[in-house]
Amino acid sequence: MLEIQNLHTHYGPSHIIQGIDLTVRDGEVLGVFGRNGVGKTTLLKTVAGWIQPTNGHILFNNEPIDGQQPDRIARRGVGFVPEDRRIFPGLSVEENLTLGFLQVPGRSSADSRAALERIYQRFPRLAERRYQHGTTLSGGEQQMLAMARVMIGKPSLLLVDEPSEGLAPMIVADLFAIIAEMKAAGCAVLLVEQNVHQALAVCDRFIVIERGRIVLSGDAKDKENCDRLLETIAV
Amino acid sequence: MRMIDALTRSMRASHLLVALLVAASLVFAAIGAAMGETFYLRLATEALIFAGLALSVDILLGYNGLLSLGQALYFGLGAYLSALVLMWVPSFWAAFAVTAVVSAVVGLIGGFIANRVRGVYFALITFGMAQVAAKVVYNTRALGASDGLIGVPVIDINLGIISFSSASPAGFFLFVLGVIVILYGVTAYLLDTPFGRLLIALRANERRVPFLGYRTMTLRLSAYVIAAMIAALSGALYPMLRGFVSPELLFFSTSGNAVITVIVGGVGTLAGALYGSVLLTLLKSVVGSYTEHHVIVIGLLFMGAVIFLPRGLMGIVRPAVERMLTRRSKP
Repeated sequence: MLEIQNLHTHYGPSHIIQGIDLTVRDGEVLGVFGRNGVGKTTLLKTVAGWIQPTNGHILFNNEPIDGQQPDRIARRGVGFVPEDRRIFPGLSVEENLTLGFLQVPGRSSADSRAALERIYQRFPRLAERRYQHGTTLSGGEQQMLAMARVMIGKPSLLLVDEPSEGLAPMIVADLFAIIAEMKAAGCAVLLVEQNVHQALAVCDRFIVIERGRIVLSGDAKDKENCDRLLETIAV
Repeated sequence: MRMIDALTRSMRASHLLVALLVAASLVFAAIGAAMGETFYLRLATEALIFAGLALSVDILLGYNGLLSLGQALYFGLGAYLSALVLMWVPSFWAAFAVTAVVSAVVGLIGGFIANRVRGVYFALITFGMAQVAAKVVYNTRALGASDGLIGVPVIDINLGIISFSSASPAGFFLFVLGVIVILYGVTAYLLDTPFGRLLIALRANERRVPFLGYRTMTLRLSAYVIAAMIAALSGALYPMLRGFVSPELLFFSTSGNAVITVIVGGVGTLAGALYGSVLLTLLKSVVGSYTEHHVIVIGLLFMGAVIFLPRGLMGIVRPAVERMLTRRSKP
């Protein structure tokens, strides 16, 4: 599914990602942990095409996507939910959702409508507020909308950046349940999260990044590994 | 009850306001024709033609967040193309078809140049392109140089069941009204489709849109070409009204007036462009009959609108219409 080989990314003169190698398989959640500013978000942005890597390769379904524009990467089936949600002001909840349709080329309007209804069944709060402006929703609802908008495009790889930030525990639990559902449906997930305890519950494997390098990786179901992870990032 | 989202409700309010303007225009045309009026019918026709130009500015400014200071380039292009075609073949359809095709091509080229940058640089590039075109026209003898092209013939526009003469003040006013309403209708339809939603999304957050799989350059270019064509098709009507075209149509004053029209009328409302144009054209004429310094009054109006009516005339009127529509749609 996703294979990253010797990835290097710079922000101007700053060398942020310093040679990362990783793989994410179909239906697998890979947790990316580490302190602030170590390059977790940069890693996601580089995979999504927001930032171009300075060296290394990113293969998605065995085809290189490094150096491609974000719209092309998105059309290949990579969904990105950024940290700040980015709901489009001036558009209603439903309009925000329908923008996600293009990621499924050739889908008929009846299929699109059915996809929208499925989303509304999964997110009843969004159904209730479908005609409201997206920016009038609460923080949790906006995060739901951002997730739903990406889900409607049926991505095969989901990049999620800090989904629980600033949200109530109940909403966070629901968000992780959605990630678990995506995983069960065969979607690969690269999850950047500060809430390590809750994230580990949905992760299959994890990596810890420090100063742009992977310093620890392991199976998230192995207690010993998890203890080492918590020790490394001092949670 | 079928719920409608806020954007569609706003668009419906705009449609209602345009319908009101059309109704008032029909009454005005009937009274004008009965009284044998010429001056005010011609003036109102000019207001409608410049409303088309303002509409094109509103597509870019209101829906795309792009301030074009050079929309006169396309308006003037349409006017000159129409004049040249009409002097060769006195056919409205030939003039309109040539204008549509050429403006789409020129809009595409201009769009590629201007859309490489954003914000103030976009405004400066559009301004620069229009200035270059104006200077070329001003210094080209084949285009009449500073005198422009005079002697555009009177034409009969045959629509099958009805025919309009460009020499008939009431008849041509009604025809131009029809054309501008069609341009408004096409614009409103496009902006109320997913394409319009994408433009709004683009204006709100251009960096986020590509992550949903959309190419922003294609979207911006499409909006730019549509705006260019609307400006040019409006400009194509000008020589039919006045019988001449001059390089002033490409000058900054034409682009600037269109921007002021949209800001006074209400940015992003479409109907505001139409109302703003009627208001500004009327004001220029009335004030111009007292003093040659009418630009000062227009400037003061612009400043007043920016300070006291940041959402323009439509900022007051349209919410009231929307409330009325909401009340009516409740069971």
